[in-house]
Amino acid sequence: MKPSTIATALLGLACSAFASSQQSTVKLPADFKPPQVFKNANLVHIISLEKNYVKEQVNVLIENTAAEPQEEYFLPFTADQLSRVGGFEVKDRKDTAAGPFTVDVVNYDSASSTQYYRIRLPAPLKSGGQQTLGITFYYLSAYRPLPASIPQEATQYLSYEFSPYAQSAYPTVKQKTEVKAASATIPDYTKVEGHGDVAEFPQKQGSKLTYGPFGEKAAGASLPASVRFEFNKPVTHISELERDIEVSHWGGNVAFEERYVLHHQGANLSSQFNRVKWAQSQYFNPASHALKEMRFPLQVGSVDTYFTDTIGNVSTSRFRSNKREALLELKPRYPIFGGWKYPFTIGWNSNAANFVRKTATGGFVFKAPFLEGPKQAEGVEYENINVRVLLPEGAENVKLLADVPESSIVETTVDVHKTYLDTIGRTAVTIKARNLVDEFKDRDLIIYYEVPSAMTLRKPLVIFASFLTVYAAAWAIGKVEVGFGQK
Amino acid sequence: MDSSLHEVWQAAAGSPFLPTIGKESQFTVAFLLLLIGIGFTGYFALNRSLLNVPLLGVPASAAIAVGTVYMFCAVGVYV
Repeated sequence: MKPSTIATALLGLACSAFASSQQSTVKLPADFKPPQVFKNANLVHIISLEKNYVKEQVNVLIENTAAEPQEEYFLPFTADQLSRVGGFEVKDRKDTAAGPFTVDVVNYDSASSTQYYRIRLPAPLKSGGQQTLGITFYYLSAYRPLPASIPQEATQYLSYEFSPYAQSAYPTVKQKTEVKAASATIPDYTKVEGHGDVAEFPQKQGSKLTYGPFGEKAAGASLPASVRFEFNKPVTHISELERDIEVSHWGGNVAFEERYVLHHQGANLSSQFNRVKWAQSQYFNPASHALKEMRFPLQVGSVDTYFTDTIGNVSTSRFRSNKREALLELKPRYPIFGGWKYPFTIGWNSNAANFVRKTATGGFVFKAPFLEGPKQAEGVEYENINVRVLLPEGAENVKLLADVPESSIVETTVDVHKTYLDTIGRTAVTIKARNLVDEFKDRDLIIYYEVPSAMTLRKPLVIFASFLTVYAAAWAIGKVEVGFGQK
Repeated sequence: MDSSLHEVWQAAAGSPFLPTIGKESQFTVAFLLLLIGIGFTGYFALNRSLLNVPLLGVPASAAIAVGTVYMFCAVGVYV
């Protein structure tokens, strides 16, 4: 991650503090083409279809074929993939202590069908030098249910299109692609011509398909292929998550509220929903692609949970709280089938001592998970995430760290939000992110801030002044002679 | 993004934020302060004089001010 500091000083009464930073992109000329300075000596591409999002890992041994040291490696995506890719992280597979890899989205020609991510190596790779990169990213809305409509009790199948040759802007000497499906039931998959001793790829072992090893392929080589596999679980997609965290110094409380817009992107129902069949299936055949329950493991110490939707309170929830866990179990108002949508809200409180600490310099530091959300075996994907932290009124010198891939963060702003008993408004830190999955649940959001004591006392002082004015006015008005005077 | 904040959080491990009035006593404190404030206000209403504006108005305003803030917190609106 590229370290940069966002610091803001709140100025006067009417002045609203505002700072903002945008997604990390790099602007290049419109006719940009990645210079052919690398080759992929060996590449292993792992496509994991085990969750309701696709996780791709590209482990590649890169070699600098140019005469000069090189530090910029480009990875191509189609324009459609670029809008759905997220959680892009790069590591050195052999040297975990190697410095951070900076990842930027290349902004060059928006009309081009090929777009790039730029990976900047921690140190330039000398001519002829090799380095092993472990590149991980996720695709959201990746599957197509096939058939698109099924009866209520039928099994759901998903189809995924990919290329057995890994996407690359450089020639690849040797490569292999592994596709891991969610189950061993894979009725259809593309077969391709073999290489060497093997007559035909893929080789199937349980739920794993292995394409390759292939011989040398040119830069940009691609081969259309698809796989269709059984996935009798919900394809949960959160199109919008608004997560509000309100820090109160007076109340010693941190209040959380999360508003979800949840979609099921699996197979639609081919006929009307049948409540009787649904009730029956709960007894003899519990496996269904409908989403009927969600489990939210909250931080220990969470209290006052609530679960509402557009109608109001939803009573089918249970909150288990003890010293070791705080688990919120929700049952939506109705089972959610493919193509259905369910917007809902949950919230809870916790003591500020669990999330806020005082620093030796007199400031405060706040730490909470960037994402919480449901913990589902089939995974959860988030398209738009809007995390807003409301700090106490008058908080200043805000510094923040969101421990999620920087290329997924769209915008960071420090602004002002006015609510109850506020005069200048609370400092609001907003972080907008895109295309993340539940594997980033445990990543931290840390915010440092300072609150001058005059600002802390602002709320009672304003009420004090208002009431004193009322008493003075009561006395002054009482002095006004309104009766008829004696002659 | 400021990557040094992990260390700042670790360094502050021994000093969690504790409010002046704990959550469990917010309602009692707020109720008493508001009662005192209303009491002083009633006394002032019966004895309105310039001297009583600071003499009764100041303690009444102070009690109502802090009482209001804590009553907001006590009823769940954590300001």
